[in-house]
Amino acid sequence: MKFKIFRFKEGMGKPSYDNFEFEPPTGMTVLGALFHLQQKFDDSIAFHYSCRGAVCGACAMLINKVPRLACRTQLEPLINGELRIPMSPYKAIEETVKWDPEREILIEPLPHLPVKKDLIVDMDKFFDYYKVVEPVFKPGDPDPTLERLMDPEAIKELELYTNCILCAACFGACPVDSAKPDYLGPAALAKLYRFFIDPREGDNEFRLLSADEPSGWWDCEFHGNCKRVCPKQVPPLIAIAKAREKLNIIKNR
Amino acid sequence: MNIITKSMKQDTAQIDTLESRLHRHDVLVVGGGLTGLRAAMQAADAGLDVVVISKVNPLRSHSVAAQGGMNASLGNVKGEDGAEDSWEMHAYDTVKGSDYLADQDAVELMCREAPRSVIELEHLGTVWSRLENGKIAQRPFGGAGFPRTCYAADRTGHNALHTLFEQVVARKIPVYEEFFVTSLVTKTGRCLGLTAIDIKTGNIHGFSSKATLLATGGFGRIFSRSTNAIINTADGQALAMDAGVPLKDMEFVQFHPTTLYGTNILMSEGARGEGGILVNKNGERFMKRYAPNSLDLAPRDVVARSIEQEILEGRAYDQGYVHLDLTHLGRDRIMERLPGIRQIAMDFAGVDPIEKLVPIQPGQHYSMGGIDVDKNGSTMLKGLFAAGECSCISVHGANRLGGNSLLETVVFGRLTADRIIEEIHDDEQPEIEPVLASVKSMENKIETILLRDGGEKFFSIKTDLTQTMQKKFGIFRDNDTMEEGLSEIEKLKERFSNSCFINKELTYNQALIQFLELESMLKIAEVVAVGAIQRRESRGSHKRNDYPDRDDEKFLKHTIVNLKNGKPVISYKPVKLGKFEPKERVY
Repeated sequence: MKFKIFRFKEGMGKPSYDNFEFEPPTGMTVLGALFHLQQKFDDSIAFHYSCRGAVCGACAMLINKVPRLACRTQLEPLINGELRIPMSPYKAIEETVKWDPEREILIEPLPHLPVKKDLIVDMDKFFDYYKVVEPVFKPGDPDPTLERLMDPEAIKELELYTNCILCAACFGACPVDSAKPDYLGPAALAKLYRFFIDPREGDNEFRLLSADEPSGWWDCEFHGNCKRVCPKQVPPLIAIAKAREKLNIIKNR
Repeated sequence: MNIITKSMKQDTAQIDTLESRLHRHDVLVVGGGLTGLRAAMQAADAGLDVVVISKVNPLRSHSVAAQGGMNASLGNVKGEDGAEDSWEMHAYDTVKGSDYLADQDAVELMCREAPRSVIELEHLGTVWSRLENGKIAQRPFGGAGFPRTCYAADRTGHNALHTLFEQVVARKIPVYEEFFVTSLVTKTGRCLGLTAIDIKTGNIHGFSSKATLLATGGFGRIFSRSTNAIINTADGQALAMDAGVPLKDMEFVQFHPTTLYGTNILMSEGARGEGGILVNKNGERFMKRYAPNSLDLAPRDVVARSIEQEILEGRAYDQGYVHLDLTHLGRDRIMERLPGIRQIAMDFAGVDPIEKLVPIQPGQHYSMGGIDVDKNGSTMLKGLFAAGECSCISVHGANRLGGNSLLETVVFGRLTADRIIEEIHDDEQPEIEPVLASVKSMENKIETILLRDGGEKFFSIKTDLTQTMQKKFGIFRDNDTMEEGLSEIEKLKERFSNSCFINKELTYNQALIQFLELESMLKIAEVVAVGAIQRRESRGSHKRNDYPDRDDEKFLKHTIVNLKNGKPVISYKPVKLGKFEPKERVY
């Protein structure tokens, strides 16, 4: 199997691509392949990693032009074309280098964030947008002695959004983030919505209003890439649609 | 090579000065998992200048992978015949589960604090799973007499870690992200701070502090089959040992019964808590033979041994796995209670547990042993504290119960921070000179490592180490095998001292970081080995074929390992017993 890896380090004018080839054992993931390359071919290849079990969110990158977790992406189905995800087009997934999808695996850093080295991107902007939405629980009443009660039914919707692992795959997949760098992006808005629908927060319209601007709820064009690439099936575009609906009700009151 | 040395010097001369790489804070928390973040919050709320230093973004810490839950005797779900749970029952189960090696004063503290700690997380916004009546849901777990384990589906660690991260962000607690701690700075029996390499730039920084808290997690990655994140490489334990702080009970390594065959990713005990069963290749529910009363929900050491026995006696599949059967639970229950492990089974084994049996095998999961601390989290070195999995306080003894480790993180993260707050109240910032000197000597060390040329690439040594530990210090142990293992470790250390890597760059030199990690792993592997060889009995997770029984007369005591002239030296100290007298453990 052939691998084409994006390489960049500070001081380089523009990135280059390195080619490698080896026969991976059955079940090897892209992350496994990167470790293999690091250990056997070139120990200067840099990439983020931690859990290798698709729960920590460290290893999101652009794999065959789709933002994915490297640890969750198996090589065999990938090369066989079984993991294709239809994507609404945007700049970063246009051709940057010649590659043969039937023979090669193309591994590049996550789009829309500055590259620091090879496959490592600077996540500061992503986390700055996360911080903008004030992602901290603001209960509607003073803490009781015991737990606040919650309807198990309410949790079903909440869980859709608390499942987010902040890997930024959606951020790298969003055509709007590509065109409008100020747009908060799917993850931050999904996080904001998670707090908005938390029944324990009580009357928290301020949550919705806090992002009532173009770069907040209103720039989304419903391409749906965010939901398609999410390794945890979080649906930011549903959160955004519902938030808009509620904002319209608030404004028409 | 000349070019590289030149660029290193340019880096320090132009971009920053040594002064800009010296940091002074009241409290340094090393590690951004649940323990570290909980402690940092507590210290910040007390008005201290506290920072978190972590080799990864805190959200990538291994706490995030915890699945099944957190134990607390909330009593939201009644036991058999409507019985009420209590902290005393929780303590009893914990002590019995520990094979009586846990210190009962620490266990009492943890179990008393448990309900408050679960509720505290709820008050901070954690979304727990709920019962129909709206209270926090609880489910049965291995070795527990009550359905005591509070959970957030099978993503309890994820939910809790994200909550605490949110709280840390809200408090604007600084996080030195991607800083790998390289040494603790000590002088005359006191910890004065630490040195760390900024992975992003390769620069060595010095941190001066009144108190340093190690919250670096376990050392699971010294084994080849481990549920642990790749980053769990014994860093904290090695830092402490190098600073002259003893390690405790390091031979007690938990093997989780159900890790996914192939990748050893965890399949939560919650799967059996919800009714999942284990079957061998003959379709037999073999736990009937090993734990007739508790069956699949016997404690982890018992179930892991039973599976290993099935493998050894040819009743498992040839590749060395048995099956976890969840199919009878039905789609709805799996989707509601175990969605995370379903996804993992599909992603990593191509199996949907709703329809098919999941291939599982035991794998290393948890480090019961760790940095020796008293029940306040203090080490013997003034100014140095440890909590969570990297420490041994000891609440888990020879075998940890599922659901007690998440509990330990938040209880002792908070209590150790309280102790720190109390202790450093009137302290002045200690002198900075020793930190400065340590930065310089660490710079020399790193430069020497980078200048190494020729010799074996160290990656193969790491592979060999993990296989040695897996084969020689696994579920069943005996003297001859372990002695072989120990001499292999010694040879690996020798090989390591002559090993190298190619990459000489400073920015994001992951080869360098992994090299430093391996240095710690080798040290800690030796400590595990020596402790295991010397403990001539079977207790909890430490099962010896040559000493099959527990020996309270000789070994109802903690193993203590100190480093003397670079060699681990063993001594023992008594277990703090209490109201629960050691008895035979039957499940």
